[in-house]
Formats: sequence, structure tokens, C-alpha cells
Amino acid sequence: MAIDNERLDRSRRFYEDGFSIGRLEITPDDFWGWLTILPVLGLYTLIALIPIAFAIVASFHSIHLLSPEWQFVGLQNYQKVFRIDEFWGSMWRGSVFMVGSTLLQLVVGVWMALVINKITRGGRILSTFVFTSYLIPTIIVAMVFQFMLDPTDGVLHWLGVDKIGLWEGYLFGNTGTTLFGTVKLAMLATVIISSWKFAAFVTLFTLAQLQSIPDRFYEAAKICGATTWEMFRDITLPRVWGAILVVVFLRAVFMFNKYDIIWQLTQGGPGVSTKTMPILAYDTTFQTSAYGLGNAIAIVMFLFLMAGGIVYLSVLNPSQEVET
Amino acid sequence: MSTLDDTDGDQEFGRSFRIPYQYRSLAYRVALYGSGVVLTVLLAFPLYWMAQSAFKTQTALGGFDLLPLGDAFTTATFDIVMDSVVANYLLNSIIVTAGTVIFVLVVSLIAGYGLARFNYRGKVGTARFLLLGYMFSPIVLAIPLYQIWKSLGLINTYIGLILALSAISMPFAVWLMWKYIQTIPPSVEESAWIAGAPRWRGFVDVVVPQTKPAMIANAIFAFAIAWGDFTFSFIILPSADATTFPPGLFRMLGSSTWDTGWNEFMAVALLVSLPPLLFAFFLQSYLLQGFKIRAL
Repeated sequence: MAIDNERLDRSRRFYEDGFSIGRLEITPDDFWGWLTILPVLGLYTLIALIPIAFAIVASFHSIHLLSPEWQFVGLQNYQKVFRIDEFWGSMWRGSVFMVGSTLLQLVVGVWMALVINKITRGGRILSTFVFTSYLIPTIIVAMVFQFMLDPTDGVLHWLGVDKIGLWEGYLFGNTGTTLFGTVKLAMLATVIISSWKFAAFVTLFTLAQLQSIPDRFYEAAKICGATTWEMFRDITLPRVWGAILVVVFLRAVFMFNKYDIIWQLTQGGPGVSTKTMPILAYDTTFQTSAYGLGNAIAIVMFLFLMAGGIVYLSVLNPSQEVET
Repeated sequence: MSTLDDTDGDQEFGRSFRIPYQYRSLAYRVALYGSGVVLTVLLAFPLYWMAQSAFKTQTALGGFDLLPLGDAFTTATFDIVMDSVVANYLLNSIIVTAGTVIFVLVVSLIAGYGLARFNYRGKVGTARFLLLGYMFSPIVLAIPLYQIWKSLGLINTYIGLILALSAISMPFAVWLMWKYIQTIPPSVEESAWIAGAPRWRGFVDVVVPQTKPAMIANAIFAFAIAWGDFTFSFIILPSADATTFPPGLFRMLGSSTWDTGWNEFMAVALLVSLPPLLFAFFLQSYLLQGFKIRAL
């Protein structure tokens, strides 16, 4: 039997450094590297990849939730999506919720970060509450605010109707209805309450960025006679701008897909006044049992987000600014 | 211009119309601390109102007393709550949250170490790929997830929920750990190998103790996700008394079978909010440190 020298060399090399499967040469770095990430990838495949693939396949079928029979209908579901009565309305309301709550979170979140960063006394108390609001389960936030807005026992009602009388018959409509029962104000209330919980996310990112600005920048500016506003405009703002662009992107994506807080506060009502895209998808899937159509809505949402995301990232290019 | 005094600087530039330094400083302080007070009140008031209502009798709820005093004060709400199915929900939540935090910490530590220390093919691509799943609305994943978990026999098991919750925390946790371990110089670890320690000893004894801030940040995020999760608990633990508290409470709110007042709900809310509050209070400074590692 002739000895294949080249092969022998290679096997000797990989005996020390790695091994090969057929033609695939695997170095120890490849082996150990992939081994360390394998559990994460496995989990991720199970929880995200397979379900997403499943959703894409399902969107081409007509499926009643309770029957195992899948009927291939091609693009029919997608045609139906745009003809759903509430589709454009939900898209509009979803966008209002996304933009409104992202902006409110941005303003309040950055404000909180600036205050926590500069404050010397009481900062611990404020940051404790900032983090608590973020860590508290959504269901609790929904419950507490529903209680505070309760028409008989709620503190805001007591304040507005019994004591000051400011919003009786005005903000709340008739006495006995909650803010959530008022078509005009339900969306506003949902935006404010979800911002109460999620503004902390903006604060965390902004604060991290603020704390990475070296003190010597401000000292130098002070020596040059800069005012507080000038220091903010010329040192602070350019430094946190990149983080703000990223955080706006993340929050907008999360808020667009957010459904638990809306569902727990209003269930999409009154009427359809807080029915956003995820609520429409949920309703279509579980209420009307049209699983294929529900998935088609989800895919449309996903494509909408992707398109928006690509535009946002290519216009503003935040990664470049964060790298500094 | 050698002086640090602001007023001198102003005069040098001839801006005498400006508000004098000491008043400007005062206005700035009022704005700063005023903001601090306003924000604290806005954030704390709902929690305060929840806490004080938990100790009120049902009839005293409607009024506005800053503290439940005299006849209004009661602890009976907590007895009712702990006797009911809620105690069971809480226990389930504690098991699931503890399991998730431990699992996330161990797995993200190993994956983060791999990303930071091994130069394997496809490394950056895999890390980016993990973030893609965030773009997908979780409700869509509900039915496929249910079917996959059912075929794996994971429905109505703690393990099933722990795996699902860990998977959502994982991309961020791995990413944070990766970036953090990169900041630890490899030379420390290498000196341990030269002294004869195998590679895994270097990892366990040298690297792991140094990742404390990143581990605390990861623990807090995994805790927040697991403690507050609604969707996955709802799908994976469908049996009514084996579930965790978020879907449990939602069912109670929706049904009239559990005849309760707001004060009892607020008692549950208080019990459930205490762990996050304690977490936030004791770990806030660590969390800030953890975030200092280059935010995205």
C-alpha cells in the first residue's frame, strides 16, 4: 500500500492543531468556538428559526385554528390582508403608538439620564425607581394604572372629578367611564402608561454613554469659559447622539411589536381605538381562527419593520457614530 | 484666561447682560433638583399608591388618604391572597425565574468566552444572526412554539418555560459577555496555563471571577424577562394552576369568578413588585457598571 505523503502531513498537522472531516479542516479554534456557541444556536433555532419558517409556510395556507388540515392558497392570504377592514386603520394606529411612545420615552428617558448623571444627592433614590419601573412586570403596571383610573375607587378620578373637577365631563366624558373607555383618549393613555414603564430603557443606554465621557472635556470647556448650555451642546450631545439613534431604533421596533401592555390595558378597545397591528394579528389568529391569515399579517408587519429599519439605518447610520 | 471664575470670563467677552454666575448656578440647581423631584414623584407615585392601597379595607379605597390609618388599615388582604391560588403562581414564578437566571448566566458565559477567545470561522456572522429574531412579533411564534414544545414533551414543564425564556434573553446576554471578556487581557489567563493549569481551569478560576459586572447585568435582564413574562408562560404552562403569576393574574382580572376588590389585587401587585424593587435598590450601581461596557 502506497503511502500518501501529503495526506500523512495533513493528518500530522491536524493531530496537533485540529482535525478534518473529509475535506473540511477544523482547527481547534473552530472546534471549541462552535462548541461554545452551539447551545445558544440550538435554543435559538428552536425558539425563533423554526417558528419563523413555520409562520412563513403557514402564511401561504388557509388554516382554521382547530382543524389540522392545511390548504395551500398561495398568495391569497396576502391579498386578503390588504382588504381587511381594519388593516390600514391598525397600521395607522400601530404607527401612532410606535412614534408617540418612542418619542415620549426618548424625551423622558434622556431627561432622566441627564438628571441622574448630574445629581449629587438623592441620585440613588431616583435611579432605584427608574430601574424598578422597568423591572416590574407589565401585568402589574397595567393593573396599577387601571386601578388608579378606576371610575369609583381610582385616585385620578377622585382628584379630577371630586376635588378639582377639572376633567369631569371633559376629559373623561361622563362620570363613570374610565380613560380607557373613552375613544378619544384611550390611545393617549396607553402611550403614556407604556412610556412610564419603558422610558427606563432609554435612560440606561443614555446614562452608559454619558458616563463614558471623560471629565477632562468639561474641565477644558470650563477653563475656556463655556456655559452649561454650550457644554451640553458641544460635548454631551455629540457624544450621546449615536446611542440615541440606536436606542430610538430598538424602541421603535419593540413598541411596534408590543402587544401585551395594550392587550392588558384595553384589549384593543374601546371599539378599535387602540387596535394596533399585533392586536389585529392576535385577533385574526385566535378570535376568528384564521391562522394562515394571522401569519400573513405578521409577515407583512415584519416586512414593514425591515423596510423601515433599512431606511432608518441607511439614512442615519448610527453605528458609525457609536464607534467613536 | 487663567481663571476658573465664570464671571470674569463673561466680562472679558463683554456679555454683561448675562445673569450673574451665582444666580445662574442657582437656577440651574433648581432646575436639576426640581427635575429630580418631579421624575421621582412620577415614577414612585403609582408604586406608592399600590403599596398603601394593599393595606386598606375595601370601603376605604375610594377616598384619598395618604396613609391607611385607623379603621382603614388592614393586613387581611395578604391573608386572602396567600390562601388562594396566587401563592402557587408565585412559587412557580420563583422556580422559573431562578432557573432562567442560572441557565442564562452559565450558557452566556461559555458562549461569550468562545466569542472572545477563539477565532473561529463564521463568528461575527453568527453573532449578528442572533439579533434578527428581535424583529419578529412574539405572538406569531406562539402556535409554532406550542407545537414544537408539545412534540418535545415540554408543555406544562418548568424546563420548557425556562428554555424558552432563556432563549429570548440569550442574544443580548451573549453579546454583553462577549464584549466584556474582550476587555479582560488574555495574558492573565495564559500565565495560568504556563503554570500548568489546563485551559478550563484558566477559564473557571481566572476569567469567571472577573466577569462579575457583566454577570450582574445579565442576571438583572434575565430576571426582568422571566419575572414579567406573559406570552410564553401563557403558551407553555397552559394548565390553570401550574402557571406563573402574569397569566394567572390576567385570567383573574378577566373573570368574575375570583371575587376580589382592588385592594387584594394591589396586595398581589405589591408582593410581586418587591423582588424587582429590592433588585433595583441593591444592584443599581452594579447595573450601571455593567452598562458602562460600551453601550452598543
